[in-house]
Amino acid sequence: MAKEPLRVLVTGAAGQIGYALVPMIARGVMLGADQPVILHMLDIPPAAEALNGVKMELVDAAFPLLKGIVASTDAAEACKGVNVAVMVGGFPRKEGMERKDVMAKNVSIYKSQASALEQHAAPNCKVLVVANPANTNALILKEFAPSIPEKNISCLTRLDHNRALGQISERLSVQVSDVKNVIIWGNHSSSQYPDVNHASVKTSSGDKPVRELVADDAWLNGEFISTVQQRGAAIIKARKLSSALSAASSACDHIRDWVLGTPEGTWVSMGVYSDGSYNVPAGIIYSFPVTCKDGEWKIVQGLPIDDASRQKMDATAAELVEEKTLAYSCLA
Amino acid sequence: MEKEPTRVLVTGAAGQIGYALVPMIARGLMLGPDQAVILHLLDIEPAAEALNGVKMELIDAAFPLLKDVIATTDVMEACEGVDIAIMLAGFPRQEGMERKDVMSKNVSIYKAQASALEQQAAENCKVLVVANPANTNALILKEFAPSIPEKNITCLTMLDHNRAIGQIAEKLNLHASDVKNVIIWGNHSSTLYPDVNHATVTTTDGVKRVRELVADDHWLNKELITTVQQRGAAIIKAWKLSSALSAASAACDHIRNWVLGTNKGSWISMGVYSDGSYGIQHGLIYSFPVTCKNGEWSIVQGLKIDEFSRAKMDATEKELIEEKELAYSCLGQSI
Repeated sequence: MAKEPLRVLVTGAAGQIGYALVPMIARGVMLGADQPVILHMLDIPPAAEALNGVKMELVDAAFPLLKGIVASTDAAEACKGVNVAVMVGGFPRKEGMERKDVMAKNVSIYKSQASALEQHAAPNCKVLVVANPANTNALILKEFAPSIPEKNISCLTRLDHNRALGQISERLSVQVSDVKNVIIWGNHSSSQYPDVNHASVKTSSGDKPVRELVADDAWLNGEFISTVQQRGAAIIKARKLSSALSAASSACDHIRDWVLGTPEGTWVSMGVYSDGSYNVPAGIIYSFPVTCKDGEWKIVQGLPIDDASRQKMDATAAELVEEKTLAYSCLA
Repeated sequence: MEKEPTRVLVTGAAGQIGYALVPMIARGLMLGPDQAVILHLLDIEPAAEALNGVKMELIDAAFPLLKDVIATTDVMEACEGVDIAIMLAGFPRQEGMERKDVMSKNVSIYKAQASALEQQAAENCKVLVVANPANTNALILKEFAPSIPEKNITCLTMLDHNRAIGQIAEKLNLHASDVKNVIIWGNHSSTLYPDVNHATVTTTDGVKRVRELVADDHWLNKELITTVQQRGAAIIKAWKLSSALSAASAACDHIRNWVLGTNKGSWISMGVYSDGSYGIQHGLIYSFPVTCKNGEWSIVQGLKIDEFSRAKMDATEKELIEEKELAYSCLGQSI
């Protein structure tokens, strides 16, 4: 018997990432090839015509899994009954804007989105915040939607995780599907720490540690880290537009693994509400290594952390604590 | 044992449709979730940096099925060993351009592409032309790649097919998956004929004919037809850009059905080399209803054609004959 459709909300749906994301969702890439979906798409009134254009194209694609489309500029209507919410909408940084200004704009957006979600979303709605500053937007959303379980609010660092896998696979000339268990610690920003100390590569003679196979600590501790941290800017330089394809694909990976579970022996990176694991301050949204099962994520515990890693993990935590302070001052 | 990767070429890969299409291919939406792929991406020199940006994003997405990406501005390198070729590249119509100018530009592009594909592609390479004028670009490609079997050269009308299904589903307040067997006849242009005379809907009371359920011949014979014919322009009006998402998705449907077979009891629409079926002139790339099996398409035969349909099918054929003449005159050759 066919499954009941799940309602998936995409905010900022008329934008670049939304346009890449919605066909992926409609094709079952996010929730599985046998899971029908109803797409809820939200954007701001100036984008209403473009949003309708996206809806028209979704109708034109005759997707077998797509059982309905709700395209709206009204947050309450868009949030109604949603089981999954992917928050792509946000205020982009413009030339000349101060960090505080960007933060202020986004903080008020996520405060009102929180309200709408809390009132209208389905119970146990899973939320993924993509729009930057992703971790802090997610934190604001959590703070202003107290009845949404904190475990259900996450932010996207899967893009950075996938970028790290990609860099290692290129370096070793192996397939990316053979590389696993990198970790992205902390903030989805240039202070993120891509940690390969527990990463491995599948070879014909079994799983080998990445550090051993790459045999170049200078690269792993230097260029590799800055490449992953700055990859977003590199994409903008090449494309003249920011990463939509890879961000959308990673958002699908994040939700799919969360809902359907991570493969045995593999973890992924998710920005989640810190419980103090690994001496990371509690009460911020921080990216950790997680496994997922039965629709729940769990931080991978007990991984040895060396001094160099400790420093980097602390630095990105400090930045998140600063962002939290800045966000709250904007709301005062 | 894992399957050998299939090499898929996308020309014009740095453009809008390419950007929507390549992640779909990399996720197995074109060839199935267990078929590894190697992407060959081609674009022109001015787009080289953007093309590299697309390659970077494909690496960043860590797609399990994507075994390699070759991004190049060299057509010979791009075509080497490809099993599937999706031709998005073409010269877009610009304001003030005459039809003859657009045709002329595209005809020389497709003549050159034909050559490279013929020399470099794998045997039995399947070709799908998307760039407009799709049917005539495909015809030129066929004429200048004589060693590529004519059955392997097609053009995209699946987008129009899906659009027709979408309109009927909306009209009946049903899901697209419940509607099937529309037909797009002819040219992927404003003369295309969306024919619902054999289309059906799956309802709780069994399979019903679309004409019977819609019970509005006026809508079916007028509004549906013009909506589908002009849908591309409607999207541009809303979006300010032409349809990328739906075109990319339709391209995946076209190839997937061709390679993996159509569902039992269903057909799709494909622009294929006419063999004279339904009284359509030989030697045009014309959209027909087809079923697919074992990697081959075959035209659904024996469907009843009423007078109304006949007139429309002939009109779009006439336009294709004119386009063929225009194309050949651009090349300075007689047919």
